[in-house]
Amino acid sequence: MKKIYFATASLAALLATGAAQADKLDDIIASGTLRCAVVLDFPPMGSRDADNNPVGFDVDYCNDLAAALGVTPEYVETPFPDRIPALVSGRADVGVASTSDTLERAKTIGFSIPYFAFTNVVLTREGAGVDNFEGMSGHVVGSVAGTFEGIKLEENIKAWGAGEFRPYQSQADVFLALSQGQIDATVVTSTVASAIVASGQYEGLKIAGDAPYPIDYVSLISLREEQGLINYLNLFVNQQVRSGRYQELYDKWVGGTAPGLTIDGVYR
Amino acid sequence: MFNYTFHWHQALRALPDMLWGALVTIEVAVLSMVLGIAFAVLLAVARMSANRLAYGAATTWIEVARNTPALFQIYMAHFGLGSFGIHLSPWWALLAGITFNNAGYLAETFRGALRAIPPTQTRAARSLGMGPLRAFWSVVMPQMFRISFPPMTNQMVWAILMTSLGLTVGLATDLAGVTQELNVRTFRTFEFFALAAVLYYLIAKAVMLGARLIAWRLFRY
Repeated sequence: MKKIYFATASLAALLATGAAQADKLDDIIASGTLRCAVVLDFPPMGSRDADNNPVGFDVDYCNDLAAALGVTPEYVETPFPDRIPALVSGRADVGVASTSDTLERAKTIGFSIPYFAFTNVVLTREGAGVDNFEGMSGHVVGSVAGTFEGIKLEENIKAWGAGEFRPYQSQADVFLALSQGQIDATVVTSTVASAIVASGQYEGLKIAGDAPYPIDYVSLISLREEQGLINYLNLFVNQQVRSGRYQELYDKWVGGTAPGLTIDGVYR
Repeated sequence: MFNYTFHWHQALRALPDMLWGALVTIEVAVLSMVLGIAFAVLLAVARMSANRLAYGAATTWIEVARNTPALFQIYMAHFGLGSFGIHLSPWWALLAGITFNNAGYLAETFRGALRAIPPTQTRAARSLGMGPLRAFWSVVMPQMFRISFPPMTNQMVWAILMTSLGLTVGLATDLAGVTQELNVRTFRTFEFFALAAVLYYLIAKAVMLGARLIAWRLFRY
């Protein structure tokens, strides 16, 4: 009897180790669903339509990725600061959430090659007295906590030594604060700025020129150690560009020529 | 377990920043408590008065403060007033929101305590020649504080924990704000939040200890 127990136990242990070797990519394919962390207050990358369904560039991108993997997509809505906790706690498999690929973050999570690139503009309100980027000095400004442009803007305010920076938890709060006059200006990606001005949702918002920040390349994210998955994501991004799907999605959500995703003079 | 490697070194290096944040947290909590107690006494008295206007205003305040989330109250102090052109900075909005909440809860605590004090005491004080204010101030109120001291300590701890809601109105200088800032910069969520939780715990414990000392000093028979 004891021998049977022992044999069963060893078999179970063997199966358990076998299962543990399956990586995230295997898990996604086996489970039949791809759970994407997406940000839905960041039009045109992610937002909700009139029927409250998730739509946007990132949502379509997640759909394409799920189709390539042969699984069903599932969207996990995360505010900007919660993208990584969602991945680490296992609520989502991949982040398709316009995540800037900073070195500081790469210590914690894994980045694919860039799948999109943003330029930044100054968004302000009529009569707030901000005419251009330097004009923000001495004003109360704000942005979404932890975004690429938010971090840069806070550094600018510190360097100018005049004005105040307020980090909000969502893009919607920033626009609300700006339209109410709680803050006088913000720096946002040009796509978002045009979308929000065109929507007419908040009155009196206007774009006041470019912010002189480097191009903000954003990547798909996954857990740092999931090299198999990251490898797949890299190839997927490459194929999206090669097949013309990247340009097609850009036309659909933004319009114009899609920004290049390579950097001159260096490998990635 | 989940796939995560802890980097405590990075979190501990940010500890001084977090301690400065903790100071702002304590500052807001203490101020909101002092102001909250002052408003709560007025509310409790108004709630027991025969003046209909005072009674109505106090009841509305208490009902809203006790039956809506603190998050809502703080959000309204910033964005709600903001839509009427009244601009409170995040710090003031947080203080206003928590003070509003504290006052609502404490008013009911005080009302309960006042009910526990026999009305004959007021009558005795008045018969000794004290005016109504003097009788309330010197005879009733000290007993009210003695009776309601344990729930007041509770509210103080609650006030400390509520300061973390300043995040939602863009406050970056308190403990939660500093922590979230570090989190979004580095994505070391668990380390920073664990450290913040320990600091909140220690602050709350220190307050309990302080309250016990005050009670021992003030309220012994």
